[in-house]
Amino acid sequence: MDKHPQMAIVITSCGQRTQNGRRLMLVISGRSVQVARLLKPRSAVLVEAVRGRKSRTDPVAKSKQGRIKVPPPVDPVEMVVLKERYTEYQLIMRALRLEFKEEMLRKRYDEEIGSMAKQRAKQEAEEHHALMTWNKQENLRMLKVRMIRIQKENEEAEHKKLEAAIEREREQQEFIREKEREIMQLQEDAKNFITLENLDQRIEEALDNPKNYNFAIDKEGRVVKQTVLQ
Amino acid sequence: MPRYELALILKAMQRPETAAVLRRTVETLIERGAVVRDLENLGERLLPYKISKHDQSHRRGSYFLVDFYAAPGILTDLLNHLHRDVDVVRPTVLKKETQVSNSHSCGYKE
Repeated sequence: MDKHPQMAIVITSCGQRTQNGRRLMLVISGRSVQVARLLKPRSAVLVEAVRGRKSRTDPVAKSKQGRIKVPPPVDPVEMVVLKERYTEYQLIMRALRLEFKEEMLRKRYDEEIGSMAKQRAKQEAEEHHALMTWNKQENLRMLKVRMIRIQKENEEAEHKKLEAAIEREREQQEFIREKEREIMQLQEDAKNFITLENLDQRIEEALDNPKNYNFAIDKEGRVVKQTVLQ
Repeated sequence: MPRYELALILKAMQRPETAAVLRRTVETLIERGAVVRDLENLGERLLPYKISKHDQSHRRGSYFLVDFYAAPGILTDLLNHLHRDVDVVRPTVLKKETQVSNSHSCGYKE
């Protein structure tokens, strides 16, 4: 079997091959692990061979004495045919891949640097300019509206302040009048207050006229003021 | 000045003695700077329960009501004085409210 050129020290490439001939499992060891990891085909699984129980210096097992490792048998005719087919197939696949890649790169180039770019830049600049002008106009309009609104609000506020002032004045007047009325009332009442002079007279009066605040009432609201004073 | 009401229960006495007590009381009030507005007699009646005061038990008493304006500071003094008066069975000073509070009125409305 031809050794894979990148694998310097390879123990075996064991496991099944797929229909394409790709190796499913690649056994590697030693210094080429990292390399093999980078360069392996996508569908393969990297398996690191590790010396298990026995070291290098241990003698060979009894059952493995005289074992000669033989690579898997290959039919040359079949191999030739397969090889041709493989080369053709891989050629085609590689070509397709590269074509697609090229197309993609070309598109990207066009997008960024090609002819479309300048047009688009110009369009965008125009749009930007138009939007900016529109924005400025909007700002001016809003400014006017705002000014009017603020003016109106100021007028309203002043109006309210004036009204509030008038209201307060009125209330103050009302208050003063109320107080004056109370004072007059009190002055009137003061004529009936008890002083040292009318004290005796008032006492006699009081003793002569006992007052009764008791009354009876029922659910219909009939009031009875006459009660018996014990 | 706030307006107070002195609900006075006096011993059941003869008229001149009652008059004397009232006179005493009102003079005390005026001395302490109160302005006496009105004096009402609620009659001599049976007390709701027996009250013992000054080594005597009373079943009847005469009720009097004195409205006056006074400074709040004199009230404790006044009450002390009245408690010590032998003829006074029970003195009570209440604040007079100018407005009847609506929230506490009973369910009946005229």
